[in-house]
Amino acid sequence: MEGIADFLDSIIGGIDLICYSLAIGGLIWGLFILHPWEYAHKQDKVQSILTEQTIRLIYKGAFALALVQFIKIILKIWLMDSILERWPFPEFASTTQFIGGIFRLSLAIALAAFVYSALRHNASSRQHWFNAAIIAGLMIISGAWLVHAAGRFEYRAILMALTTLHQVAAAVWIGGVFQLVGIWQLTRQKRIPDSYWPDSLRRFSRLGMIAVAAILLSGTPMALNYITSWNGFIGTGYGNILLVKILLLAIALGFAWLNRRAVLQYASAADKHDVFNRVPYYIEAETFVLITLLFTAASLASQPPAIDIPELTATWGEVLHSFAPRIPLTTSPSHAALLAGEAGRTAIIGQTPSAAATAWSDYNHNIAGIFVTVMSLFAMLSYRKSLTWTRYWPVGFIGLGIFILLRADAETWPNGTMGFWESMLENGEIFQHRIATLLVFLLGGIELRARMTSDPESKLPYIFPILCAFGGLMLLTHSHVGFQAKSSFLIQIGHTFMGLFALIMAIGRWLELKLDSPGKNIAGFISVFAFFQIGLILIFYQEPLY
Amino acid sequence: MRFRTSQIQRLLCRLILLSCCYTGLVNAHAVVTDHSLKLQAVSAGKASQVKLNFNSNIELGLSQVFLVRAGDVQEVLHVTAGKEPGVALIDMPALDAGVYALHYKIFAADGHITEDVIHFTIQP
Repeated sequence: MEGIADFLDSIIGGIDLICYSLAIGGLIWGLFILHPWEYAHKQDKVQSILTEQTIRLIYKGAFALALVQFIKIILKIWLMDSILERWPFPEFASTTQFIGGIFRLSLAIALAAFVYSALRHNASSRQHWFNAAIIAGLMIISGAWLVHAAGRFEYRAILMALTTLHQVAAAVWIGGVFQLVGIWQLTRQKRIPDSYWPDSLRRFSRLGMIAVAAILLSGTPMALNYITSWNGFIGTGYGNILLVKILLLAIALGFAWLNRRAVLQYASAADKHDVFNRVPYYIEAETFVLITLLFTAASLASQPPAIDIPELTATWGEVLHSFAPRIPLTTSPSHAALLAGEAGRTAIIGQTPSAAATAWSDYNHNIAGIFVTVMSLFAMLSYRKSLTWTRYWPVGFIGLGIFILLRADAETWPNGTMGFWESMLENGEIFQHRIATLLVFLLGGIELRARMTSDPESKLPYIFPILCAFGGLMLLTHSHVGFQAKSSFLIQIGHTFMGLFALIMAIGRWLELKLDSPGKNIAGFISVFAFFQIGLILIFYQEPLY
Repeated sequence: MRFRTSQIQRLLCRLILLSCCYTGLVNAHAVVTDHSLKLQAVSAGKASQVKLNFNSNIELGLSQVFLVRAGDVQEVLHVTAGKEPGVALIDMPALDAGVYALHYKIFAADGHITEDVIHFTIQP
């Protein structure tokens, strides 16, 4: 159960940031964009609808944040109980994490309760908005003791302040994008006039740029403090995740630029096409990216900063070697050879690296890479009208699922001595591998049906990009340091880039389904290209000997 | 068989919940930046104290350090706080010559739990 508690503990950080963005970003939207008090005497129905929606998102975000903060405390207790094999109280009650967590929980509840019970009924009262901002401000400050800068010895206060500013700036941007998604829904449902959509985009544009500037201004000194060399940037888990964060930020800014360009075109030439037929979908794609960015940010907080692990930092050569093209391994070591090396590999005293274990894993990844690469090539061919049969390429996922089922857990059925059901019931990790395998089967099955359906209104095609984005998010969030940090990092780095490509594949496919030409074709090509890249990473995958 | 939107939404929610069970190793943030075993060898047959320097503040009440002997036999060691923050002092019993390890589980002030191993040898 320790594994499940640990994973939930790492993923809850991203959910926390989403709720935080909804609440804080919504409040900033109300204070700096909506200004509901200016419409207090005008009986503006549209403004009321917009304000109502903003307030709803704030209190829902704040209530969810309180719940998540509560779950975080429970998970921490569960995790400590599992790892330390004892009840962590009373010691845990006196830690900064517990005290700070309880403060933040109380203030999140106070914010949610105030917005729900007072601000909702006095939406045009400036005083009520400021009161909500004061409670939110206290909650933001209380969170400063829960970030990893709180444990540092040097520049502790400055780093805590910068992290908090970084979080607030991100919440303003991401919370604003959530608001835009909501406004587009209102526009599409004809609950507000069309003119409010470009107007909201225009009004958010300036605030968004300020937020991005604040993200960069607060993030840069932190990065320079935690990473002091190029090698630390390239050769550690911290640097690697920061690199992915920067790439995600660049993608999100790309979408922001497309949105801004469309708004400027609308303002100068009254060109409505892009604003109404492209921007909403760019914003949906941007939302995918920003949510992943939040989970990546949460994952970064669980990594030791590069400055602290100079002896565990991989060199440029070692990192490049992980991606070096080579002939994929198509022969597997025997099951007996694998099992023979396991006792030595997992021992603490007299630990002996197992060449068989490394080759077993390389073979699994390389063969999976062949599956993915072939699927991606068929996916490319499926765009040719003369090769319609290639649209059945998702059937490859079913083959891949069978391969993973047979190879992932060597100690169980059909290779090992443990039975299929017995292994799932007795070993949590095997149980989780089986669930992941089931996901691959479902991914293939659902996308196959989606490509075969003749119903133009079918929602099935949208499941594939959502599952891909979720898979990418899992890979990006799933970065940990255990024993042998350098080996773990060299294993992690390939998975991190696969996560990034899975996200690109997801947003490409999403936009291919939503956009008109030529954007649709470009997005489709990018999606399949990203899929191909995942295949290449897997085909050339090689683990360090450990 | 045709899917309705609500069915798809339910299926997605279940998939996401199921895949939340996928797992990995223990999160880490506190790491040992220095330790006395690097500088001074432990003598055989003599009790000693080992100093571990961490990169962040740690909660000793929620941390454990084990001595690992041949065959991976583990015993809990007594740990006290050093004078400086982030320092743990470990009381080591008298040991025979051989190969050993310190296996530690540390709760850092930022809430992350680190588990790692330091290998050392005692010369005769």
